[in-house]
This record gives sequence, C-alpha cells and structure tokens, in this order.
Amino acid sequence: MTEFRACVIIPTHNHVAALDSILARLDGLPTIVIDDGSDPAVGARIDAICREHSDVEYRRHDINGGKGAAVMDGMARARERGFSHAVQIDADGQHDLSSLPSLLDTARSNPSAIVTGEPQYGADIPLVRRIWRPFTNFWVAINAVALHIPDAMCGFRVYPVDAVLELVRKSVRGRRMEFDVEIIVKAHWVGIPLKGVPVKVIYPEDNFSNFDVVRDNVSLSALQTRLFFGMLWRLPSLIFRRNPDRRVEAARWSSLQERGAYWGMRTLAVIYRILGRHICLAAMFPVIVYFFATGGVQRRASRDYLEHAWQVGLSKQRPTLWLSFRHFLSFGVSVLDKLSAWTTHVPHIWPGPSLQLLEHVETSGQGIVVITAHLGNPEVIRAVGALSGRVPVNVLMHTEHAKLFNRLLKELSPTSPVRAFPVTKVGIDTAIVLSEAIAKGEWVVIAGDRVPVSEEGRVVEVPFLGQVAQFPQGPFVLASLLKAPAYLLFCVREGTGFRVHFSKFAELIELPRADRIGAIRRYASQYARSLESRIAETPLQWFNFYSFWAPVPDVRQDAIAVQRAAE
Amino acid sequence: MEQLETELKALIVSCLFLEQVSAADIGTDEPLFGEGGLELDSIDALEIGVEIQKKYGVKIDPEDEHLQEHFRTVRSLAKFVSGMR
Repeated sequence: MTEFRACVIIPTHNHVAALDSILARLDGLPTIVIDDGSDPAVGARIDAICREHSDVEYRRHDINGGKGAAVMDGMARARERGFSHAVQIDADGQHDLSSLPSLLDTARSNPSAIVTGEPQYGADIPLVRRIWRPFTNFWVAINAVALHIPDAMCGFRVYPVDAVLELVRKSVRGRRMEFDVEIIVKAHWVGIPLKGVPVKVIYPEDNFSNFDVVRDNVSLSALQTRLFFGMLWRLPSLIFRRNPDRRVEAARWSSLQERGAYWGMRTLAVIYRILGRHICLAAMFPVIVYFFATGGVQRRASRDYLEHAWQVGLSKQRPTLWLSFRHFLSFGVSVLDKLSAWTTHVPHIWPGPSLQLLEHVETSGQGIVVITAHLGNPEVIRAVGALSGRVPVNVLMHTEHAKLFNRLLKELSPTSPVRAFPVTKVGIDTAIVLSEAIAKGEWVVIAGDRVPVSEEGRVVEVPFLGQVAQFPQGPFVLASLLKAPAYLLFCVREGTGFRVHFSKFAELIELPRADRIGAIRRYASQYARSLESRIAETPLQWFNFYSFWAPVPDVRQDAIAVQRAAE
Repeated sequence: MEQLETELKALIVSCLFLEQVSAADIGTDEPLFGEGGLELDSIDALEIGVEIQKKYGVKIDPEDEHLQEHFRTVRSLAKFVSGMR
C-alpha cells in the first residue's frame, strides 16, 4: 500500500458563494477545484478565489459534463499528482467540514475503502429531498443487497483514487447526479469496502442545489429501475433475442445486456431468497405481459411452434393467443426455477428409471457428452449434480450467457464444479480442455436445438414437427471429437417437481470422412425424434422463441471457429 | 525440420485413421485441405490441431488469421510448429 496522501476535489457548477469559506476551512489540504462549465463570469470568480488560497488548483471544463465527469477528471488529476485518496466535497457548502478529520482518519485506517458521510439531517433539509432520499436509499439497498450501504446520495466522501478510477473505467455509466449512487452500488458490488461516518449537513439559505429535482430524480429512478428490473427485462430478451440483425445488436449491447442481466438475476435471487417464489412470480407477471404484448416476433414464433406441434398431433391443444401466452408464462416460471435451483432450493426430482440411469452413470466415473435441449430446465438437474458435487460439469452455451452464467455461479454457488464455455469460441484450446475433462470423468453438456448465432453456423436440415428445420452440427462434431459416449438429458417441470429423461444417445459418435454430413444428419434426426417425443408430453416447455422453421439464407455451417480458419 | 515434417505426417495419418494413405504418401508440399491433395476437411483440421497442441505443447490461437496458411501443407505446419515451440 502506498503512502496515504489525500487531496480534496470540489466539483462546482456555478457554485461560488460558499467556495471561499470552504477553501478557508480546508487548512491547506491540497485541493483541486473542477469548474464544470460554469458561466464564464462565474468561472472567473471561482478562478480568482482559488488563487487566493494556497495549493488550490483550478481546472475548467468549458462544457458542463455533469458531476460524475467532473469528479472523475479531478480523480485522474489527483492520480497524476500522486495522491492516494481524494475527498469529494460539494461546492454548495452543505457539508459540515468539521467532520473532515474524522472522514480522513477513517480513510487512513481503511485505505482500501470508500468512506462516505452519513448525513444526520437537521430540520432544514428541503422537503423534496427529505421525501426522496429514503426512497433512493431503499432502492440502493435492494439493488446492492445492502448489508451495509451508507447514504448513497451524500457527496461528502473519501475515494481511494486508483480503485475508483478503475471501477469507473470499467463499469460506471452515469455522468450526472446519479453518479454518486451508481458508484457506491458498484463499489459495493466489486467488493470495495464502504465505511460510513456521521456528518452534519446544512442547507445554506442563500444557496441553491444543482440537484435538479425533476431531471436528477428521473435519472436516479431510471438508474434504480434499470438495475432492479435488469434481469426482468433483459434475461428474457437475452434468451428471446434472435432477430435478423442480432449480430449488430449483440455487438452493441452485449456488455450492457450481460451486466443488466447479471444485476437483475442477482437482485431477483435475493428477492427470491427473502420473499419467495410467489412474490417473484407476481413481480415477473407484468414483465411477461409486457413481453407478450410487445414481442411480436416471439409471439409469432410461439404460435408457429404450437401450430406445428398441433398439426402433427403432438400437442393436443389448439394454438390460440391464450395458449401462446401460457407458453410465455411457462417460460417465466422456468426462469424462476433456474434461479431457485441455483440458490437455495434443491429441487425435487421424481424418481424413475431415468434417474437411476443418471445416478448409475454419475457414479461410474466415465466422462460423457450430454446433449440437452431448450426444453424444461436442464439447469435444474445440473444444479442438483453440482450441489451434490458428484460430477464436474462443463457447459457449452452462447457467449453472453456463458459469461453471465460463470459470474452468477461463482456468486451463488461458489463451490459448484460447473464451468461454462462460450459455444461460439470452441476452438482447439477448448477442445483440449474438454477432452481432458472427459478423460477425468467429467461431463460436457451442450444443447442440440439452438442454431449457432454466427452466420457461419454449421447446420443440418432434418424434419422436425412435420417440417424441415435446421439443427446445429456442433454437438455431434464435438461428441465425435471427444470420443465419448453421448447421452440425452431433458428435465421438465411436472407438478411440484421435475421429471428427468436420461438416455443413451450413442456409445460413440462416428463421422466417417466419406459421408460426414450424412452421418451428422442421421444423428440430428435421431435427436429431433427424441425431442419430439418429449415435446408431446410437455408442449409448453419448449423454449425457442424464434422462427425455428424459417429458412435462413446463406446460413452455412459451423460450430467451431478454427474450422473456418483452417479451410 | 525434416524430422518434424515426418513426425507430422505420421501424426496426421494416425490421428485421422487414414486408411488408404501412409505417412510416406503425403507430399511435404501437398495441400492438406481442399481439392488436389489429401482433401481433408475442417473436422480433420480440428483433430490435427488438438493432436499438435497435445504433442508439441504449442498453443494454437483459433482467432489467428494466418491459421489457414499454417495448416496449408505439412511444410507450413512444420514451420509453424517449430516457430511456436
């Protein structure tokens, strides 16, 4: 740890009245004043005041960039000047500087922490803020699973310079007033400790606040809502999403989506743990309704699928709008099931021959390839396996899901022997890791009913529910490469528990060079038959909300990046 | 280098279970993939890549733009492997 050297950062936007007295009370602490686009005349006055005090650096931004940006600029400057810590002080004089020494002392003894003032409000707090503040803190608490989050809106704090700059560079988006809140939540999130120190807050009468009640509260509440509903909005969309311009979409939004989903999932997990399944379902209901109402593509895909299943007699229910809605609801329930499986509740699995076979294979110690589907909740069985810790499992899934999944898993179930691999990047490295895993008796799990996202995706066309559809080659290519027995695993909800379907698919998947595509097509078709017989039992639990039968022009083949390169 | 080339030929034959081809039949400059040579395909490429990585401990980056060139012939492959070692 480097030496504790603190400076003060004062962001100001047209606040000048209190500045002189603030600077006078800082006792010569090195100070950086960031003039965040004040009117030129005010700027000149600020500059002049700064000159009157020793060791005060004046930095001007000609354009108002918001408090967050101003503080960050100050922090970057503080780092340049070799300060380890920076005290943020609002320029409106509302912070009681007599608390500064205790803030600094706390920071000195907790050098890695953010030390923030916890305002002890006097009676002079403006009414709107008094009303709003506890509300904001409530949301912050919910979002950050606030075990100990001090007042997130108090701008009187000490930042460890390096850690906070790093955090902001990585993940903080807010540049205006919501910055104060966001940085606290995210800091909590990445494990930067937070310490609260009681401070008095004064609202000087001759002053004004740049906290624009409407704009900033709207953006604050937007931030909170974004964090809170992140998963509710984004998790379904992550899974639902599969429109023609999905690559562009994915490129633009992937990091955001992943983050949102992660936050949302975590939040939901906490709510689930505290409030239980029914509340969560109730919370999700409007979201499902929203998705149903606005997700035309998904709704049509659902209808299309139900129509196919009905036409071939696998589904006994005539496809209607209502049935599609139930299909959506069933998807929502499955999301919750995943969550509960990974958090606290060990799901109940009905006994049966499949379960016996599963246990038999698990205890045999043989490495296998497991081909699953977007049917019901294969995750549940993975969760059971992981929780019991019997067999390490390697799951191949789409990139954005894989990252999210790994992160969540580490969080929710730290000892779980599950690893996720992004399916789009299965190259030689992954193949080697996976073949070593198989050799050690681990399982490799991959879904067989989702066509690779990339346009170069390798697919085969086989009949499915009465019409030719595309299936990925990847699972079969991978299984042949790994030279391990392949099993099919499905796990669907049945009443209050889950039903497992586990069966051997092939002792060894062989793809003779003479007719590889033919062989893959035969395997894919065998897989499609098995999937159909499961769909007949639980038609509303197959979750592929994109047009499965639509021809994708020019979709060629591939699951594996290196193949492309090698050709 | 010549020894490495011979080794690689043997590796290709054994890991792909080539039945009608022996290691000696593979020309050092014969194209491995595509028409007019061994006519291997992408799955073969992956198998070869995995074997090479296992045997020689070279790290093959699937994102490498020049991978295609490295895998073109036994000669280029040998050059690549010895360069990576």
